[in-house]
Amino acid sequence: MTDKDIEAKVRELLALVLEKPIPAAQPVSRANEPKWDSLKHVELIFALEDTFGVRFSEQDMAGLDSIQSIVAALGRRHAA
Amino acid sequence: MRHDIHLQGPGFALRPVTETDSDFIIGLRTDPELGKFINASSPRREDQIAWMQKYYARAGDYYFLVTRHDGTPEGTIALYDVTGEGSDKRGEWGRWILKRGSMAAVESALLIYQAAFERLDLGMVYCRTVALNQPVVSFHTSCGLATFGIVPNNMIRDGKSYDAVEQRLMLTNWPAVRANLSTKAERLARHLPPPGNPARTKIGI
Repeated sequence: MTDKDIEAKVRELLALVLEKPIPAAQPVSRANEPKWDSLKHVELIFALEDTFGVRFSEQDMAGLDSIQSIVAALGRRHAA
Repeated sequence: MRHDIHLQGPGFALRPVTETDSDFIIGLRTDPELGKFINASSPRREDQIAWMQKYYARAGDYYFLVTRHDGTPEGTIALYDVTGEGSDKRGEWGRWILKRGSMAAVESALLIYQAAFERLDLGMVYCRTVALNQPVVSFHTSCGLATFGIVPNNMIRDGKSYDAVEQRLMLTNWPAVRANLSTKAERLARHLPPPGNPARTKIGI
């Protein structure tokens, strides 16, 4: 799975969780998306874990605060 | 007021605050990021302890420390202005501050609602969030609270007034909210390091 594939899937999951479209290439983070609240963050983490077959540590979770950081974290796991 | 409500969830717990928590509370409330949407606090321990003495004397005010199961403090939360009788009994929750990066938001909300509906028998709980604090307003909506309206000039800080959004949870909606938050809190708790292990355990894939 390439980073591009991962990003497309992450955007799809984020759109489902936030119940709003996430256009390709639009940078999205918790800092600039008010609907990405603490409950939605948990829902997104679980959706990522179920979809990608990974498990994030508590420490990881707080850092997964943008599409970019999520793609990077998933990319590292797939490369490992 | 002095109270003795202790609640334990799958990953976190609530216990009454005491003067010994003063330094931790000051640290949270004076953090420029964490404290920007709450009433300003003094950084002096004497002031915090004086505030606590007034709090102890105030009826209908239940202030909690959010902790991990090993007792490590994670944040604060409170239920106050509890008034009324029977199904009209209601209270506001707030003073909600968690350490940066904390994953205790969902569970601490669950526990404060448990305190409200299952220990204090309230018929309704409301919260007033500074309207600019959109992620918290969104959090309450995501949890299932209904937006009641805007409270003008609800907070004055540094000479500037801020409107708040009032959101409410009725006892009748509590079972659905409880089920939703409980499911998430239980799964989230499986990601926490076991009690007694302060190192944030890295869980691999």
